[in-house]
Amino acid sequence: MNRNDADRKRRARFDRVVSIFHQDMYRYAAWLCRDPGIAEEVVQEALLRAWKSLDALRDDEAAKPWLLTIVRRENARYFERKRLETVDIDNLSPAQSAMLAEKEDTELEDMRQAIFRLEDDYREPLVLQVLMGHSTREIAELMGMQQGAVLTRLHRARHKLKDEMEKEAAA
Amino acid sequence: MSASGNKMNCDEYKEAIAADPSAPSDEVAGHVANCESCSAYLAEMQALDDKIARALNIEVPELKIPDLPPIEDGNVTNLPFARKSKLPTWIAVAASFALAAIIGVQFIDTGPVGEYSLADEILAHIDHEPGALRVTDVAVSDERFASVVNPSVGRMDRDVGLITYAQSCVIHGKTIPHLIIQGKEGPITLLLMPDEMVEGASIIDGEGVNGVILPVGNGSIAIIGEREENLAEIEQKVINSVEWSI
Repeated sequence: MNRNDADRKRRARFDRVVSIFHQDMYRYAAWLCRDPGIAEEVVQEALLRAWKSLDALRDDEAAKPWLLTIVRRENARYFERKRLETVDIDNLSPAQSAMLAEKEDTELEDMRQAIFRLEDDYREPLVLQVLMGHSTREIAELMGMQQGAVLTRLHRARHKLKDEMEKEAAA
Repeated sequence: MSASGNKMNCDEYKEAIAADPSAPSDEVAGHVANCESCSAYLAEMQALDDKIARALNIEVPELKIPDLPPIEDGNVTNLPFARKSKLPTWIAVAASFALAAIIGVQFIDTGPVGEYSLADEILAHIDHEPGALRVTDVAVSDERFASVVNPSVGRMDRDVGLITYAQSCVIHGKTIPHLIIQGKEGPITLLLMPDEMVEGASIIDGEGVNGVILPVGNGSIAIIGEREENLAEIEQKVINSVEWSI
């Protein structure tokens, strides 16, 4: 196989993997950083990094956790560079408000806001489990934690959300 | 069974349910089948999860692929260091002498021959464990540190720096301590490899990061930091702080 064929094959593989998992990458980034604009930047950087290190992905079956790991790292790099302030739920940017908005379903919007308010340590494993379908073992590996700590964070996260939603319903 | 080995009560079953309502273990499922309260709780948590899943499912903008550079050797992340070591000779020599009294002399070789796969694996490992690379001022507990840098590895003085992460990881088929200390420019990765003998000090040159694998007695230590980090300052401290078990 000549160089051009190899390049075309590599690009086709990249496009295939990215087209399948792009939505997961974006949603994960958006819930990690809680800002759609930053999430797009993080995903762009993650795509570039994935392109450069595609040969390290030996098995396409493992593409999803591989890409999410890259997104996680790019998000960490972004925040190390920018040292952003904590997000204030009462003072959201228009883009952040749009991310949470769900005019037809106020309960859904309330839930988004409740998730948005969750501390990072609780929000991330919840996103990985509920949205990405990761097992607690996979979450522990990705986050570099003990599985027991992941389980604790997950049940606390759900309790916090349950309490928030009950408060909203009572208000 | 609970972590302590005792039979779980309903509160503990409910904690387990809330941790993963979609995939209760056989034990939890068995209990739920015979417990009205826990059964109702499982249904409640599954309903909550449905709402969480819908809420997380936000709209995604159209995919925009960035301009992808042509793949040449210089663009590939995790590129094995195919050039001569940039490690200043004095660091390597100083490191060797510092260790000689404790561990034994190793000769420093500036050529990386034979270590491509180790450096590759180290960079890939760092890429795949990004949770470690957090900027934080919270040190790992003594218990955690002791469980990772355990007597089978050796000992390490904690005053080498602020150690914020400790995890037992597998590199080259061997379980080794993976530590993070906070450097001036960001987290610095330390991999203590008591059984990974290398022939000489060699550079790790990844994207945005720089590092070195130093021979230490019958093993080696990899130190990797941000590109701007001055690792020379930390290398000596790390080497002096470690003593392998015999």
